[in-house]
Amino acid sequence: MRFANRSRGPARRARLAGATAVAMLVSLGLAACGDDSEPASKEAPSELDDLTDDPVTLNFIWFEWPPAQALEDFANAEYTKERPNVTIKVDTVPNANWHDAMFTQFAARQTDFDIAVLDSQHIGEAVTNDNILDITEFVEENIDTDAYDPYLLAAYGQYPQAETGQRDEDASLYGLPLLGDTWTMIYRKDLIGEEPPKTWDEMIAAAKTCQDENPGVSGLAFHQSNGSDAAAVTYNTVNGVYGGNLWESKDRKIEGVINDEAGHKAMDVLVNQMKPLTAKGSGNWFIDEVNAAVAQGKACIAFQWIAASGGLLDPAQSTLGKTREEILDKLGFATLPSQDADFVPLGGMGMHVSAYTSEAEQLEALNFMRWFQQPEVQKKWAAAGGVPSRTDALQSPEFLDAAPFNVVYAESVPRLRDMWNVPEYARLIDIENTNVNAALNGAKDPREALDEIARQQQSVLESSGGLD
Amino acid sequence: MTSTLETPEQEATVSPPAPGRLSRLGDRWLAIGFISPAMLLLLAMSVFPLLWALYLSFTDYSAARDVPASFVGFDNYAEVLTSSQVRQRALTTLIYVVGAVGLQTVLGFSIAYLISRRTRGRGALTTMFLVPMMLSPIVVGLFWRFMLDTQFGVVNSLLGSLGLGQVEWLTQQRTAMLSLVVVDTWQWTPFIMLIALAGLTAVPKYLYEAAAIDRASEWFRFRYITLPLVWPLLLIAVMFRAIEAFRQFDTVYILTNGGPGVSTETLSFHVYKVAFLGFDTGTASAYGILMVLVVIVLAQFYLRYLNKLKEG
Repeated sequence: MRFANRSRGPARRARLAGATAVAMLVSLGLAACGDDSEPASKEAPSELDDLTDDPVTLNFIWFEWPPAQALEDFANAEYTKERPNVTIKVDTVPNANWHDAMFTQFAARQTDFDIAVLDSQHIGEAVTNDNILDITEFVEENIDTDAYDPYLLAAYGQYPQAETGQRDEDASLYGLPLLGDTWTMIYRKDLIGEEPPKTWDEMIAAAKTCQDENPGVSGLAFHQSNGSDAAAVTYNTVNGVYGGNLWESKDRKIEGVINDEAGHKAMDVLVNQMKPLTAKGSGNWFIDEVNAAVAQGKACIAFQWIAASGGLLDPAQSTLGKTREEILDKLGFATLPSQDADFVPLGGMGMHVSAYTSEAEQLEALNFMRWFQQPEVQKKWAAAGGVPSRTDALQSPEFLDAAPFNVVYAESVPRLRDMWNVPEYARLIDIENTNVNAALNGAKDPREALDEIARQQQSVLESSGGLD
Repeated sequence: MTSTLETPEQEATVSPPAPGRLSRLGDRWLAIGFISPAMLLLLAMSVFPLLWALYLSFTDYSAARDVPASFVGFDNYAEVLTSSQVRQRALTTLIYVVGAVGLQTVLGFSIAYLISRRTRGRGALTTMFLVPMMLSPIVVGLFWRFMLDTQFGVVNSLLGSLGLGQVEWLTQQRTAMLSLVVVDTWQWTPFIMLIALAGLTAVPKYLYEAAAIDRASEWFRFRYITLPLVWPLLLIAVMFRAIEAFRQFDTVYILTNGGPGVSTETLSFHVYKVAFLGFDTGTASAYGILMVLVVIVLAQFYLRYLNKLKEG
């Protein structure tokens, strides 16, 4: 009897253990399904009457670069004068992880940030997945939209995407501008002369002459990395300059558009004329490497985001001079040369309120955005190193005199052109980045690379998923 | 005597539970109690995610979209298995695994063999060789990235001082793959070395003494004594390293980001892109499950070979 009991015992216990494990897995499964209930509202309120007086920490998420620290310092110094109970924290991640850091949290329907600093191209993905608040009514009630260049307001907030230079008044807004940006051409005045080249062809010729005359100094330095959007922005810029287009947005057509004659001409110029003027091994360069080359006097002409150019004037980081004035004797900043067309890349980012943060924090985030768009605050932001978007701030002495490249931005605004602002952006940019990087580093024939970009991107837009 | 021996046994059988111990808490339940936290953790962190990924792999689910998953059968598996992109990454991964593990095996075994022949300083030498293995792959990737930089890197500086030209280590197709293999070899050769050293140390000395009496050559002793006895252990080390290298992600991410173009994109790196750039969760799950299956199947064949070797 005892033996019989003993033999049944383990079997029973095994069944019990199995049942427990299954129950655990089922409960974990139910937990993993999460709370499927929709957030209370995806639309931001237009009135902000219920702001809390309790201590609040307003969390931003951005990538690691100087403007992020500038924003945190500026906001904590200025916004707290109006709202002493609020602390601003700007959390940063490496640039390459920026998209993933935001969208994996959005995917979990739970964010540890209240304001996502989204690139203009991220808006489509965030809007389609209901990750950010619709602030159309809030903007109508609280923001003086006439004070902006319509395209700047549209570029950082509107979805569906705005056409270059325009804003669709009927489209919804999901964000407000935080930091404007575009590329500046940085040139060595002491090597190529005071006057910057006016056309792209002249620029290449000047870079070649400079390289030939100055051993150890490369003619050009620009972004070529296959990470983030580095190589893609470089190609898109040259594509714009040579009269190409990235796509026909209305028909969602890429094949035959990006790889038309102008597109191939642009790729040929980039790979066969510009690349030979860069330093050996520069095929993985991005913001930091280009800045290092300029600061160490290793490049005649470079292309860089304005918001990332501040460090070039710091004598502690440069071998070009012991003072800012000495450095400015050698470095010039100019708008990009034109050629067959007159476009420059749209950079910068907007502020977007997470749909998953608490109501009190959403209200505080909206209040911050309303405060940030005031004319005086925009001018102070300009003086603190930011690039504002209000026209009055852009034309103010506070902005124009703050840095030599700020005038470049003010002049570039009418020429800004964006990429595709669609939910498939992350895949489109990866396709372009990897193929342009391959062409720049000799891993792929340039013509083949461009045709591959067109084919793969069209396939992504048509299938919205899947592998080739 | 008999009664003396029997008494404690009877007492043990009928002895009441110790004070404070629950009457129904037998040894087995106590064991279950101790094991269950680890089991629960294993279920929650390993078994459940695997089963969940298996479920998702049969759906069109996307983690980014607020849309319920729909059953798509084996579509995701068919897509992965017929994809030219996946085939290209599989070939890249194969080249990487064979190159890195092959080099590590040769170097690791050679170093272990040399160390095993030393009687003095063996411990210090072994410890010194183990240092790279203890570093984080991200840290290793970062400092090798600096060292291999074409313009400012110490490797090219060294080549320059020898009168050799600059090499574009990370931006040319062949050198980028070679760099990945070298970095992985630098970090993981000590692992092979450690296991080979354990095997070499365990070879009975009398075999060598008998061979010496028979005046066997050095090569004969290595070929017919050392290698056959260390071989099974070495193969286990190779299997561990091959599995590790097969799922390599971090070093690739830091060192080349899969470039130039996608020429050093491994399967793991590609899964990451499918999962987090496109948020194509269903396809990424199928991709991941297939990778696990490949490892399991290959490991099974490998283990059977090892067993045969043992029996032989």
